[in-house]
Amino acid sequence: MGLGTKMKVDLCIIFVSIALLSSPVFSDLIISKVDRRIDLTSHIVRITSTIKVENEGNEPVSDFVVAFPDKQSKHLAFLSANHNEGKGKKKSHGASLPVKSVQSEGMPKSLTSYSISLLKKLVKGESLTLEVLAVFAHFLKPFPEEVSQGDFQLVVFQDSAYYLSPYAVRVQTVIVKLPDARVESYTKLENSKAQGSEIKYGPYENQSPFSYSPIVVHFEYNKPYAVAQKLVREIEISHWGNVQITEHYNLVHGGAVLKGEFSRLDHQMTSHTKGASAFSRLLAKLPPRAHSVYFRDEIGNISTSNLRSDLKKTELEIEPRYPLLGGWKTFFTFGYGLPLKDYLFEAEEKRFVDISFGSPIDELVVDELVVKVVLPEGSSDLSVSVPFSVEQLEETKLSHLDISGRPVVVLRKTNAVPEHNQHFQVYYKFNCLSLLREPLMLISGFFFLFVACIAYSHADFSISKSSASYLAKLQWDEVLSIIQQLENIINRCLTIHEKLEASLSELSRTGNVQACKAARKAADSLLKELSKELKPLLTTLQSSPQAAQIFPKVEELVAKERELQERLITKHSIVVDCYEKKVSGREIENRVAPHQQKITALKHEVDDLLEYMDEI
Amino acid sequence: MAQSAKPITSPVPQSLYPTLAFLLLVFGLIVTASFFIYAATASKKNRSLAKELVTGAVASVFLGFGSLFLLLSTGVYV
Repeated sequence: MGLGTKMKVDLCIIFVSIALLSSPVFSDLIISKVDRRIDLTSHIVRITSTIKVENEGNEPVSDFVVAFPDKQSKHLAFLSANHNEGKGKKKSHGASLPVKSVQSEGMPKSLTSYSISLLKKLVKGESLTLEVLAVFAHFLKPFPEEVSQGDFQLVVFQDSAYYLSPYAVRVQTVIVKLPDARVESYTKLENSKAQGSEIKYGPYENQSPFSYSPIVVHFEYNKPYAVAQKLVREIEISHWGNVQITEHYNLVHGGAVLKGEFSRLDHQMTSHTKGASAFSRLLAKLPPRAHSVYFRDEIGNISTSNLRSDLKKTELEIEPRYPLLGGWKTFFTFGYGLPLKDYLFEAEEKRFVDISFGSPIDELVVDELVVKVVLPEGSSDLSVSVPFSVEQLEETKLSHLDISGRPVVVLRKTNAVPEHNQHFQVYYKFNCLSLLREPLMLISGFFFLFVACIAYSHADFSISKSSASYLAKLQWDEVLSIIQQLENIINRCLTIHEKLEASLSELSRTGNVQACKAARKAADSLLKELSKELKPLLTTLQSSPQAAQIFPKVEELVAKERELQERLITKHSIVVDCYEKKVSGREIENRVAPHQQKITALKHEVDDLLEYMDEI
Repeated sequence: MAQSAKPITSPVPQSLYPTLAFLLLVFGLIVTASFFIYAATASKKNRSLAKELVTGAVASVFLGFGSLFLLLSTGVYV
């Protein structure tokens, strides 16, 4: 900016200020005391102003305006205001007051103003104390902008010694807190003094509105100047008991750019004494009960990380693959699982996720923060409540076992600082039956597999339906099926035989002849039926040329079975007869003995033949 | 946050996932084995389609839930 234009702007401000002095809008209020604490111990600049406001006009006032020059406001990341009631140590902080950006008429163009709505109107003569916290990102400018590996990093901070306000200020002080006592230079005004790592300006009395007196502090800053150019946080909800968080970082060292080349040896040997602006460690404070933590990049797992956990917190200390020097970038991803019951709740038929917004890494500025909340498939009626303004859109994501995709709420925020690590809520409706979608997917998948197997085994894939081998195969299949049916019948016969035997042993135990006879009757009719079923099978088998080789065996089996059957029935009749005639046990045994021998032999033969059939 | 908010948990306690996965998969595989034994041994004419479908359906229900719990217990939250 040329000197001429700068003067024009300044003149403009003065004219406008004079114009404003006569207007009643801002002049009703008077700031009777303001203490500002500027915290420069981190690269995220925090300015806490304790402002005592008095109303000297007649009209009650409900808004208080704070203003920042454009140079500052473009770095302003977070602004909050509290009523500060009570005095001294017994300070109590109420809920933060609503703050909104306003473009007041009559305000200089180069100022951005925010209006704080007071809880109750301030009437004449009353006063109240406000505590305003303003957080700035990228506000510390490295100077020089390039340093070599061994140099210290110096940064510049600029502000005004007077509180820039549309109201007149009676008494004010500023305390600048630095990381340590190594200060290169600072603007010396009257009433300014440096004491250790603090620089104090003031008290200054009776300043008119829009007073401005620039101060510059040039000091050594050797803490990690970590800036995430882009951070994508994906929060995936699974109703099966897990909240999975995945964070993709595009990290850059935002401080003075490295000049010359990098020597790993020098870095290793002197990093504690010189060139400490390079950083290699970051600390992420994860929620308690975080599990399955991983840390990786495109290449794979990065093994240099430490995880400490206790009941209250989980601390992840991550170390990228190489130390970050000024201007260097790195990319990495880490993720962790959280128990569902800590973050998902149900109220008034709606479910909601209640989880923190920002990055868990300490003192990190995020230029572009994208938070994606992936809800389970089947969620509907999404709504979001975030305590600060964000850009919001919706998309869908296809993940494991999805058909239509999961609804995703995407929240985008620029210039995010740790103060944005507040809880936000995503509300949605969900039917519990939708929980069965995933298992049903799996079940239907397996079922299709089985259906395919059935179809394959039933289908006929032969090309020439008239070839001899094909016909032979068909006939052979038929023969096999007949043999199987045959075997089946014989097996059933054998079970009936067993039943008959069982009835005999029952008879010897209880002597109940009637029951035994009934069993015999039932067995007889069943056997008759089975032999009827057997006949057509035998005739078809006989006519089939394919079965010519096996047929004798089959016939033998049937014949043996019939013989076995007859013997068994004879034995049965003899025993029953003897019981009726009350013949002695020994006599019965003698009479049955020859049949019994034959039966055992036949049984063996039938078993052997059945085994042979099985092997076909 | 609403006052009456009550936390939501998984429908089945998470500590049961591995056991459930094992039991369901073992049973599912047994039914699958019986399905394939039947398909391989019974001749084409004698096989009943209904029996095959029912065995397949039972096997796929058990395998489906079994593999779901296997996925969950290994950390793939579907």
